[in-house]
Amino acid sequence: MTGGTQQAGGARRWPLVVILVLGVGLALAPAAFQMFTRAPQGETMIKEFRPFMNEQTITDFRAYLDEIGAARDETTGALQPALGDPAQFAADYPQAAAFVEQWDAIDADMSDMLDTIDANRDEFDGISSLPPFALFPWFFVIPGALIAVFAGVSLVRTRRSRRPLTVVLVVLGVGLLLAPAMFQMFTRAPGGGRMIDDFASLMTRDRVTQIQGYFITIGGGEGQLRTAVVPAAVDQNGGNAADYPATAQLSDDWPQLLSEMSDMVGAMADNLDNYAAVAALPPFPLFPWFFVVPGVAVIALALVARRSPDPHPPLEET
Amino acid sequence: MTTSRSYRRTLLFGLVVVFALLAASCSSDSDTDDSSSDTTAGGSTETTAAGASGDLVGTFGIDPGADGTDVTGSYFRMVQSGGTLADGPFVPNGDSTATDQTYTLLEPGTGGGLTTGQFQPGPDPLFDADGNALADAIIAPVTFFGVSFAITTSETDPETGDPVAEVTITNEDGTLTGQTTAVTAAYGGQEFNQGVPKPDGSLPGESAEVSGTYDAETGDYTLDWSSQIVGGSFDGFTGVWHLEGTFAEA
Repeated sequence: MTGGTQQAGGARRWPLVVILVLGVGLALAPAAFQMFTRAPQGETMIKEFRPFMNEQTITDFRAYLDEIGAARDETTGALQPALGDPAQFAADYPQAAAFVEQWDAIDADMSDMLDTIDANRDEFDGISSLPPFALFPWFFVIPGALIAVFAGVSLVRTRRSRRPLTVVLVVLGVGLLLAPAMFQMFTRAPGGGRMIDDFASLMTRDRVTQIQGYFITIGGGEGQLRTAVVPAAVDQNGGNAADYPATAQLSDDWPQLLSEMSDMVGAMADNLDNYAAVAALPPFPLFPWFFVVPGVAVIALALVARRSPDPHPPLEET
Repeated sequence: MTTSRSYRRTLLFGLVVVFALLAASCSSDSDTDDSSSDTTAGGSTETTAAGASGDLVGTFGIDPGADGTDVTGSYFRMVQSGGTLADGPFVPNGDSTATDQTYTLLEPGTGGGLTTGQFQPGPDPLFDADGNALADAIIAPVTFFGVSFAITTSETDPETGDPVAEVTITNEDGTLTGQTTAVTAAYGGQEFNQGVPKPDGSLPGESAEVSGTYDAETGDYTLDWSSQIVGGSFDGFTGVWHLEGTFAEA
């Protein structure tokens, strides 16, 4: 036999060499993709986003936006007219005026952000149901190392005219083949990929700074409505602050609203690097195939290695 | 001969007594001098209001902020993310009583002010149900965006979990320098490091080291520093601190 195909102990050696290379490649893949650092960052991101990736929280946040919007409408409909024309109002109460002017754009953008988060809840649940991200590199390293070791041992055995460890290699191959199915990777990984893509527009420094700016505008407006605009309107028209119920409601809820929504902004800010690390991993939809392809290859190659070669090989030249 | 020996013994005894008295006298003078200069275990020199240089160990009493043509006294400002100390933009605080609401006026806490050489941690719990800070030793809690904040100093930085040293301020011929690494702002149920340098020794973004002035005769001082927030909802924002008042030695 020539061309790298050898026979020893009734087995082909070249398939074992290929299996050995596959095993080493699988074991080294996490290092090549920097998975040892990136995967734990992904796990951190999932943990810190979990409180916001549920229907109740998103519903609460939408209700807060409605509440802010109602206060804005009350300002334009009742408070501002009581205190002069819009130009005078803007001059006297610049923060309240900025809030009134910018709210529609803020509301649209924040609602879009909540829609994006809401649309990815199932994907997030799927990804967070996978085994811990920190373990991911070891899902490559351990089977890869085992395959490489058993392929190497098989090579040694064939050199000594013994049979390769075909059964063990086939079992390892089947394990690789079944792992994505066990972890539902074929459905969860593409979903994770879509989520990563959808979040690309949210998880940037500029976007976080923009959203922080929204809170400055809203918070500045709320503060000036509470401390200056409403008292001035009460002075002007009589009555009391309760006569402006939407604004009063916003002021009552503001500490809670600020705390909850700023927690989400904080989670976004804290996970920019983690998101970038996850986004730098190979595309999520490919992950199941990183197991299936080597699994199939190992099974096939192990069976080929087991097959007896030509029972009447040519005599070796001397 | 015997008489001569006895005389010499008496003279020697007399000299020993004289030296002992002199030594005791010097020791007493040294104690007196402690009010102006001493050497600490770390080898640095502590200074009182009467001294010229060294560490100022005591409380930097906080004069309340006051509105006017210019804001005077102690105050806090916050630079928005992406802004600069020189040009802002500064966050307007709708709850500020200053005409320019980018200034939040500070008032002294129950401890009178910022103490060096020891920590001034907050109470437990640190916040009420609405996220208002309850610590009141250094400054009185002050409303910012509808929620009260306060400052504390603790041996562990709440954000990083790193151990930090007590605040230290050093006077060098009327110019103050030092570190406020342990200073933390408590706000909205969260804690933000507001000292410089940061616990890892860095000065991120618009952070600026402690600087100030000190009048050794009167104890009057000014202290300024700025500290960019790293992480959390105010990531990238910079707290600008200006304290002034009178230093009181511990």
